[in-house]
Amino acid sequence: MKPVLSIRIAWRFLTSSPVQSGLIVAGIAVGIATQIFVGSIITSLQDSLLNTTIGSASHVTLQAIKQSDPIRLTPEIERILATDPRVKPGSVAPIRSISALYSNGTDSASLGLIGGNLKQLQGIYKLSARTVEGRASIGNGEIMLGRDFAEKFGIHAGDSVSLKFQNNETGSFTVTGIFDLGAAQFNLRNAFVSGSVPQNVLGWSNDQYTQIQLQLVHPYDSREVAGQWAQQLPGISVIEWQGQNKDLLAGLTSQAMSSYMIQAFVLVAVALGIASTLAIAAVQKTRQIGILKAMGMSDADAGLVFLWQAAMLGVGGSVCGVLLSMGFLAVFALAPIPFQIVMQPAFVAGSALLGVLVALLSSTIPTRRTSRLDPIEVIQGA
Amino acid sequence: MEACNLDKTYGEGEAATHALRGVSFELCTGEFAAIVGQSGSGKSTLLNLLGLLDSPSSGTVRYHDVDAELLPKKQRAIMRNALIGFVFQFHHLLPEFSVFDNVAMPAYIAGNIPESEIRRRVEETLTMLGLEGMGDKNANALSGGQKQRVAIARALTNQPAIVLADEPTGNLDSVNTKHVYELFREINAENRTAFLVVTHDRSMAEHTDRILEVSDGELVRDERSSGIAF
Repeated sequence: MKPVLSIRIAWRFLTSSPVQSGLIVAGIAVGIATQIFVGSIITSLQDSLLNTTIGSASHVTLQAIKQSDPIRLTPEIERILATDPRVKPGSVAPIRSISALYSNGTDSASLGLIGGNLKQLQGIYKLSARTVEGRASIGNGEIMLGRDFAEKFGIHAGDSVSLKFQNNETGSFTVTGIFDLGAAQFNLRNAFVSGSVPQNVLGWSNDQYTQIQLQLVHPYDSREVAGQWAQQLPGISVIEWQGQNKDLLAGLTSQAMSSYMIQAFVLVAVALGIASTLAIAAVQKTRQIGILKAMGMSDADAGLVFLWQAAMLGVGGSVCGVLLSMGFLAVFALAPIPFQIVMQPAFVAGSALLGVLVALLSSTIPTRRTSRLDPIEVIQGA
Repeated sequence: MEACNLDKTYGEGEAATHALRGVSFELCTGEFAAIVGQSGSGKSTLLNLLGLLDSPSSGTVRYHDVDAELLPKKQRAIMRNALIGFVFQFHHLLPEFSVFDNVAMPAYIAGNIPESEIRRRVEETLTMLGLEGMGDKNANALSGGQKQRVAIARALTNQPAIVLADEPTGNLDSVNTKHVYELFREINAENRTAFLVVTHDRSMAEHTDRILEVSDGELVRDERSSGIAF
């Protein structure tokens, strides 16, 4: 019964000063909206950068210590890859690589041929989704070329190309599809063929590969995974993407830090705003609290009034903030930005919860002040 | 209610001010008494001590033989809510609430009275005080006399043993003053609620049954009055 009275009084105090209450709610809403807006943009941008960089690349790569030597896909390696839950299912691709030379009579270019099983390569390179012309297929005598290479030499799906391999033998291929992995250098210098093509050129057995490429469920686990596997698999080189992309990581980390700083300052500003307004509200309502205490309201119940007020303001402000952030992001999405902004439900819920917590924390001073108020101060001071 | 040797001193050492010195008296169920005295004589201080709003420097206040000074703060608040009704000079209504909620507030604070019973009591009291139909009005929208009647209604909601009124007619004209005293009398006679009214107006005090006079913090007179009607 008594908490209900505190809620009733808190609600009445808030609704009796609609402008003041509205301004506090607006303050919290803008703060939370900024928090969600900035957080969502930075996170989406980072995800986009990450996806562009390693979405179609190996996160962890196993290869022989000497790069030109083959790595054997032993039962032990197969067991490790099959049982480690951090490995993304269906994204392990043993590949063989050789270099080749393409010439159209007037111009020539070297090409790295990645040979493997299409189904396994899909797990890393998503070839079907990234085929921009023709179809994804690398059967015998078939090849998939990168968009930049195809454009440079005016090649289209269905054309035939002749390549000279590193052992001076030549091969003729039908271009089944043109892919675009989002990286011009990769598109220009690499092509996909059946695994048997480099195997024949290199003269390797069926269990010998240039690399075993794979992706992880969580890309940022790569350092830990590579460290463990390096110990479990002596004599094998374990390379992971973070070690190969230190500049990108530094950029992402700096971006995340600046985002956290902005969010932290916004929260501090929101907290100070609520705390000062609630403190003023507490002073404004001193007479009423004194009267209520004179009628027998306990110190704890009187203190609860401002805690409930803070909770109501926090919930109201946070809900409005979430809606406002959706509006911000909808407007922002109209601009020609190269990535999609995704609002993570957990982040939005966390930000809203943070708004309520900040509001509750901000009510500490008025709550304590109200608890300590002696009704005689009000009665005598009237 | 029993006041035993009440002392109240503000400040310390040479700066100490003795607001009350050794005040003792008893008030029985159904009594209608007035405390009179000059401004600054200690009347309001005494009323605040009796109302458990303040604590004496020494001495005790007992209600039904329970020493209020020995109770923790929370228990004193409960005792105040259950046994004492207050009527202040400045009515002290809550402007954010309706007349109904203002009158019901002591019952809401008690927390153990069913809503239906609160509604019955409030409507009955408002009718008795001539405020029927005004429950939904905002307390701020009333005249001075009406506000004071709402304050009286609020003091009666929890059916207290005693109503303490500090200059309850200080801000009212003579017509409203008369009306308030008549109401006090009526409630006193009907419910056997004890009344202790602080006033500086001796002629008003003559309408009560007992006059306690405070001068320089001491109880200098305690005598039966004629209790003349208006």
